[in-house]
Amino acid sequence: MSAWTSTSRGASKSAWPAWLRSPRVLAGLAVVSAIALIALAAPLLAPHDPNEQNLVATFLPPAWANGGEAAFPLGTDSLGRCTLSRLIYGARIAMTVAIVASLGAMLIGAVLAHIAGYFGGATDWLIGRTVDVWMSFPPVILSLILMVGLGTGLRNVILAIVLVDWTRFCRVLRAEVLVVTRRDYVAAARLVGFSHWRTITREILPATLPLLITLVSLEMGIAVIVEAILSFVGMSVEPTIPTWGQMIADARQFIYDSPWNLTFPILAIFVTVLGFNVLGDGLRRTLDVRLTESRA
Amino acid sequence: MTSILPLIARRILVSLVILVIVSALLFCILRLLPVDPAAMSLPPNATLAEIEAKRREMGLDLPLFRQYLIWAGEVLRGDFGASIHFRRGVAGLVGSTLPATVELAALAMLIAGALGIAGGLTLFHVRGTRKEPIADAGSIVLLSLPEFLWGLFFILLFGVALGLLPFTGRLSAGFERPIITGFLLIDTLLIGRPDMFVDAMKHMILPAFALGIAFSPTIMRVLRSSLIDVYQEDYIHQARLRGLSERRILLHHALKNAILPTLSLMGVQFGFLFGGTLLIEVIYSYPGMGNLMVDAVRNADLPIIQAVGLTYCVVVLVINTAVDALYLVLNPKLRVA
Repeated sequence: MSAWTSTSRGASKSAWPAWLRSPRVLAGLAVVSAIALIALAAPLLAPHDPNEQNLVATFLPPAWANGGEAAFPLGTDSLGRCTLSRLIYGARIAMTVAIVASLGAMLIGAVLAHIAGYFGGATDWLIGRTVDVWMSFPPVILSLILMVGLGTGLRNVILAIVLVDWTRFCRVLRAEVLVVTRRDYVAAARLVGFSHWRTITREILPATLPLLITLVSLEMGIAVIVEAILSFVGMSVEPTIPTWGQMIADARQFIYDSPWNLTFPILAIFVTVLGFNVLGDGLRRTLDVRLTESRA
Repeated sequence: MTSILPLIARRILVSLVILVIVSALLFCILRLLPVDPAAMSLPPNATLAEIEAKRREMGLDLPLFRQYLIWAGEVLRGDFGASIHFRRGVAGLVGSTLPATVELAALAMLIAGALGIAGGLTLFHVRGTRKEPIADAGSIVLLSLPEFLWGLFFILLFGVALGLLPFTGRLSAGFERPIITGFLLIDTLLIGRPDMFVDAMKHMILPAFALGIAFSPTIMRVLRSSLIDVYQEDYIHQARLRGLSERRILLHHALKNAILPTLSLMGVQFGFLFGGTLLIEVIYSYPGMGNLMVDAVRNADLPIIQAVGLTYCVVVLVINTAVDALYLVLNPKLRVA
């Protein structure tokens, strides 16, 4: 926590803040920003339209393998679509969902955690029991059921992930808020006449922020996985939009024809999630956050 | 000594209340569905009047609360309705697929626990040495691979490239599936067919390992950090003074206390793992509840989605309650009411 608070208050102006000097944070940030850039620049980078079919050139292996073609660097799928282009465009959905859904889940989870931890009593009890009820649904099952209720589409995928994963933030943050609220300086702020709102935003939030940021980073990795799961079973965005999960579902059917097509999206998901996790782990260490983990 | 039975009874009561709320929630979410179950269960040439009559017959014109009560009452009598798509009783469909999923989850949990404890001891053992960064990096990589990526990776490696193990279904062609208890591993032994048991086991190795390995890193990390906490305690220091070997201290003294938080975490993890079976089943064409659920989702088969969703929750609640009760039995410190 010290690293965060000292730098955010501008104690060390000359040096980079500690969390920006951590090799883990830098490595994680590098991977994640690279993928975000690829997603942004997809129309410039992709050699083909991701939906363009080439029925005379199906199941091409990657360009370096026997029978590969330079026009399709990573080969083609069962409909002769360019694997590289689909991977690049798939990054768009993955990153959009990762960023928007985890921020949404953070917002709901953090607000409720601060309310519960700060006010305690019946409010805390009610929020705590709501989290209990939510957690008795296995996350995959709940997101699938929500997608059935909401219908497919990008907005609903994001909404489903937010509605499932806010509990991750709420549960962990509430415990932290509870600890911080008991500190003397918080009591002092109240005595000086700070309102509840001001106490929470000015005194408690700065102390819980490191944990919050770490959790967001880890949640982004989880969101990428959940979106891949939903698109794998065909309950994510419209089928015309390429996603990594959908590429995996297609490739699973033709596993003997082209194991390549299964390998690349698996790698893409793995690298993205690893990037977010390394970033989160680096933040956790440099911001000195104690964290009980749980996962999808 | 205070009795722990009232505490356990209270825990069970809480779970029952949660179950009622969960079932109501499930019911409401699925009523958001933009499809009309009445129209779906009639032939496409049905008239509007016929659909309206069917709606009334199915009770869809009643207020949501009344509909829930009717459904809950039927569920309590074991009647989950009939599948719109399969035109069969849902209870039978769930009953025939649940054992397969439970078998898979139990085997996976065993693997996750074994790997988690071995990994946690290793992580703890290498702390402060040069191997620590490597072990740490390893555990982050493990943490970044969700079960379905492991599942696909195992299929590519052991199924396709090496051709070592089967990766579709539960039994090789030519075996007639015995149905006694519904648990295939038990049934094959009951009818005295060890060859069939081995075949069924071979089909389960890849999916169970994929699930187990994906859920082991969390167990590893919690075991390591609770071992680190336990090592701060005086009795470890005293054991050293008594001249016990480090190995004996770790395995006989520290592990016994560090395993409690790990056990409680494994209870929570089981919920996640049980949900994780869904995707593993789809990837391995494993005939359990997950495949039933995904088929139902694709067909918008409401009665099945409702029943399977509820069954998942019931299993998770039962396991969590059981783990909490076990925790109370094993940890005398918690018995203060």
